[in-house]
Amino acid sequence: MRLLQLLLIIILAGTLHVTAQEFKLGKVSVEELQEKVHPADTSAPAAYLYKRGKTFFELNDGYFNMVTEVECRIKIYKKEGYSYASEEIACYTGGKTIKMYFTDAYTYNLEGGKIEKTKLKADGEFQEQVNENVRVKKITMPNVKEGSVIEFKYVIITPYFTAFEDWYFQYPIPANYVTYEVALPNYFTYNRFMTGYTPIEQTAPKARLGSRGIFQETAVTFTAKNVKALADESFVHNIDNYISILKHELASVQLPNSTPEKYSTDWPSVAKAIYEDNDFGRELGLTNYFKEDLQALVPSGTPPAQKLEIIFGYVKNRMNWNDKNGYYCIDGVKKAYENKVGNVGEINLMLPAMLRHAGLDANPVLVSTRDNGVAIYPARTAYNYVIAGVKLDNNIILLDATSKYTLPNILPLRALNWVGRMIKSNGATEEIDLMPKKNSREMITVSAEVAADGKVTGKTRDQYFDHYGYVFRETYGTLAVDSYLEKLEEYYGGVLVSDYSITNERDLTKPVMEEYNFSHDNVSEVIGNKIYLNPMLFFSMDENPFKQEKREYPIEFDFPHQDKYLLNITIPQGYEIESMPKSVSMAMEENIGTFRYNIGSKDRVVQVSVAFDINYANISQDYYHTIKDFFQKMIEKQNEKIVLKKSI
Amino acid sequence: MILRVLPFLLLLLFAHPVAAQEKWTAVSIADEMKENANAVIRLDRTDITINSRKSMTVKKYRVVTIFGEQGLHYMDASEVFSNTTTIKSIEAVIYDAYGKEIKKIKRKDFRESAISQGSIITDDKLLALSYTPVQYPFTIVYESEVQSSTTAFLPRWSPVEGLYSSVERSEFNITHNGELGFKYKEYNFGTTPFEKNETGTTLSLTALNIPALKSEDYSPSQHKMRPQFMFGLEKFNLEGVDGEAKDWKTFGSWMYDNLLTGTDELPAATIAAIQAKVAGETDVVKKARIVYDHVQSKTRYISIQLGIGGWKPMLAKDVDRLGYGDCKALTNYTRALLKAVGIESYYTVVYAGSDKNNVKEDFVSMQGNHAILAIPHNNDYIWLECTSQIAPFGFQGPFTDDRMVLLITPEGGKVVKTHVYKPRENTQESKGSYSISETGALAGSLTVRSKGTQYDNKYDREHSSREELDKMYKDDFSNINNLKLKKTNLLNNKDSQEFTEEINLEAEGYCNKNGNRIMFAVNAFNQLSHVPQRYRARKNPFEVSRGFYDTDEVVIDLPQGFTIEAKPDNVTLTDKFGEYKAEYEMIGTTKMLYKRTLQMNDGYYDSGEYENYRLFREKIARNDNAKVVLVKN
Repeated sequence: MRLLQLLLIIILAGTLHVTAQEFKLGKVSVEELQEKVHPADTSAPAAYLYKRGKTFFELNDGYFNMVTEVECRIKIYKKEGYSYASEEIACYTGGKTIKMYFTDAYTYNLEGGKIEKTKLKADGEFQEQVNENVRVKKITMPNVKEGSVIEFKYVIITPYFTAFEDWYFQYPIPANYVTYEVALPNYFTYNRFMTGYTPIEQTAPKARLGSRGIFQETAVTFTAKNVKALADESFVHNIDNYISILKHELASVQLPNSTPEKYSTDWPSVAKAIYEDNDFGRELGLTNYFKEDLQALVPSGTPPAQKLEIIFGYVKNRMNWNDKNGYYCIDGVKKAYENKVGNVGEINLMLPAMLRHAGLDANPVLVSTRDNGVAIYPARTAYNYVIAGVKLDNNIILLDATSKYTLPNILPLRALNWVGRMIKSNGATEEIDLMPKKNSREMITVSAEVAADGKVTGKTRDQYFDHYGYVFRETYGTLAVDSYLEKLEEYYGGVLVSDYSITNERDLTKPVMEEYNFSHDNVSEVIGNKIYLNPMLFFSMDENPFKQEKREYPIEFDFPHQDKYLLNITIPQGYEIESMPKSVSMAMEENIGTFRYNIGSKDRVVQVSVAFDINYANISQDYYHTIKDFFQKMIEKQNEKIVLKKSI
Repeated sequence: MILRVLPFLLLLLFAHPVAAQEKWTAVSIADEMKENANAVIRLDRTDITINSRKSMTVKKYRVVTIFGEQGLHYMDASEVFSNTTTIKSIEAVIYDAYGKEIKKIKRKDFRESAISQGSIITDDKLLALSYTPVQYPFTIVYESEVQSSTTAFLPRWSPVEGLYSSVERSEFNITHNGELGFKYKEYNFGTTPFEKNETGTTLSLTALNIPALKSEDYSPSQHKMRPQFMFGLEKFNLEGVDGEAKDWKTFGSWMYDNLLTGTDELPAATIAAIQAKVAGETDVVKKARIVYDHVQSKTRYISIQLGIGGWKPMLAKDVDRLGYGDCKALTNYTRALLKAVGIESYYTVVYAGSDKNNVKEDFVSMQGNHAILAIPHNNDYIWLECTSQIAPFGFQGPFTDDRMVLLITPEGGKVVKTHVYKPRENTQESKGSYSISETGALAGSLTVRSKGTQYDNKYDREHSSREELDKMYKDDFSNINNLKLKKTNLLNNKDSQEFTEEINLEAEGYCNKNGNRIMFAVNAFNQLSHVPQRYRARKNPFEVSRGFYDTDEVVIDLPQGFTIEAKPDNVTLTDKFGEYKAEYEMIGTTKMLYKRTLQMNDGYYDSGEYENYRLFREKIARNDNAKVVLVKN
């Protein structure tokens, strides 16, 4: 289906021949210094004229180090681009020796037609130990002005070659030429993945002798030219899903005279590796810590559906999430259970463990959160989160106990990110669709009365179902009523709320229900002997959120949803309806969404029923204009008025 | 651009490791303390011992009951340390609602991190508690002891810590050796009761049972509202340098001698170059403008928080060589260049920000968080913001306007006020026209000239990309759906400090259609639609911190073949908060002239007036949205 076009993934296999462009540090030209604006993007504050990276391996005393060298030439066009005259590199230091440094850093300016260069000295270099494990080096270039060209090189030498840094081909500023060479010793196999929409060329793999001629390596160069600056767009969960990034994942190591060590190659291997890891599989298998408690909780003979409910509720209530992601346990389930605090791994591995123990078919499901991006390739690092999946009556029910407000199949938004991977105890894996299958609903019922002076008073009942309920509880669950009312009044600008009540705030099995009385002076206008009344009162949408003319990336909503409004409006005595908007029903192509608007009247009562559905959370940018136009028409319709006139 | 974390945040305080025998149960909290409170500060005790001008110990003992996630930041269990400040001890214990111990947290469980957010580098580090609550409410008992050789900043006592938190007991005890010229001053206590006990070498302050405050829009800024005591020493030490703070004159001299003297040397070539640039110019203002332009084109702002407590500027010759610096460095560099062309100027310490925080004139001490430059001229001052590469010469702007600042002159310190913007200085003058088509589309153009603080809101648009401008104008004209920007032409006149925007735009469906009627808001281009939030029981006074004056003149072409069924009446609203006028005049059968003026006054008002202000704004919003109704013939 074209609609749910998955992110563009190029598994690189091409063998394009790229003519390497001449780029040597120090050879800054007068033309580059004279250039006033970027030729393709005149508003660009700065641009990468060149960026060349190289990652290769060195063998020292029998140990491999991974070396990454990056050389940049950056043109500063405007003052807003000065931030590009500072650079920062961070490195995981762990317990081993790593080296990182800047070198060959100069600022070039044109002074009276002559090139003047200023060297970066020690007083422009800074180092900081951010925490035990992360060290940062920063530079800030001297003598930078509008028109300057700066160059620098940095080198990172690290023994942590499983953590291969992602290489970005796209930046907030244009990049004229970005090239990256990866040379890997033949002992190492990495999987390679590319995301994004920028065309990347790649050379044929070249076999050659590696550093100091001790081993064979294979080199490939990736190049992107004339890369546009990143667009900043709303309705995108994680821009990294759409940027052009080259990723490497260590698959296996086969050193001479030793047995091959497999890290990951395909899903079964990844699943197996994760499963066999002590911090995952072993923790999942532990049962002693909860056995007794569980026995008291779930008497034998409890039906499976009820078992699920009891255990899920128990874990949710007992455990408190420490805001740490990860599918591995840190302190271990036992300690977490005792302390009632855990990371995602501890809480959501405890959950299937208990469910299994109670006889249910429960398994962990690996997930990549929205912030982490979409898991696109089989790798242990592709995931950073775990939930539980229970097979019940041939349906898979997804559970996440890290929030107090989740329900079966109502996951936190952070976990709603394409697909997850279930790991079963027999080592088999299965892809699990994480996205909600039905539209979350919000239903607003209103009965209102219009006075002859245009003032509208009435009663509202607002019900939040499914994810709407989850989001409401997460956002407002701990807010005092007074503060909430202020927010509510602000949200529906101009409304005055009284007699507010909320029910089912804690009872998750029922929708959150708010009821309140309201009055509003500004949803109708009295002009002459007529009243112009907005039939949706203050619930109409009046601004199109889609403003841009063009769209680069898919449009992402939090979840598919239905917003429903039922209004009964009594018009004032002595007035009659002169005209009413027409009922209408609109649908977007491919069932992206619908808008149904029905209006009718009986005696002095106008009945309005409106339903707005968005059926997918992620929609290809090809449909941007469809969506934008649809919203526009919908907003126009929502703002059409009922005209009332004084009866004679 | 902030100089450094505010001193009183930087040197937080600490207390006696009193045996925690009291039982801290959440259930024992009185109802009125729980109202609107996400956290209740049961006890906050700070004990400061100043043994000498180079030795200060701050002990903190703090007990807080937290009712939910929103109150978590009131744990406030963290300390900043640096080369001259060390943390002697730090620990915490967590209790449940009934006072049963849940968890002990030792020093090793506190997390250390560098705090250079926004800066390239700082000396300071943070040691902070990270704790995941397992239940609410819970109570944290936190103790720490910090030792510092810097006594230039004594912690302040602010028993009201923030919103949505109440205080059962807040205590502040200072012991000093009696020889350092210990002094203190109270601010904003108003009706907040407190108790004071003083001897020759001690001072004790206590406040009890302060209920929680809610957030309210248009509240005056914290420094005008929050009760606090400031403390200081006449003889202090700042990162190894002894200082004196008897009066502004001597204190300013000390700053001049220790922080500025010797920092303003420039290479001979630079002096020659700048002298050549101003050669032939005799007018002081014109000369200074040339120097300022030179600084703006040559330097950029970078935050580097090293040196004497982050207070000593980097050498001018280093700025000259490197082309960057922080506010202190760039201000001092500009001062050095001005000196080279014979213009005297003063390094000036200020609290920057839109909330107009004063250097407290009646309390001589290290204050401020930013530096600007003052050039004395015609019995007044020309103010230069040296960290901006784009601000016009002498433009104060709302970042440093209307507040007391400290000038550091060779003759000593002097506290003066910066420029005050009157409503009629902050103008926006719009002139334009638009036409309405038969289908309800709008097409029009307008010219907007902005000055004063309204200039400040806009002048950086000059440097925005097309896409950014598109976004900004779609926000500006958010009342116009389907806005298409056809053309924008921006002119930043830095000399007159006036920003001109010429905008051509169109929008399908600007009008509401209802059968054979179309209706639209006449004021398409400048609606003040925001109505301040209503409060059921407003507590705080409110403040409009800067006024403005808008004028609009728009000619509207109505479509042929329609009759005007209704048009708004002229209106004048006058109140102490301002004045609003709208006129709708037909000039011919299908042409209307819309004229609007709006003056909003600045002012500080009682809470009782808030509802009137809200109603005034509501009337403006409604009149700005007044509509014309056309019926097809």
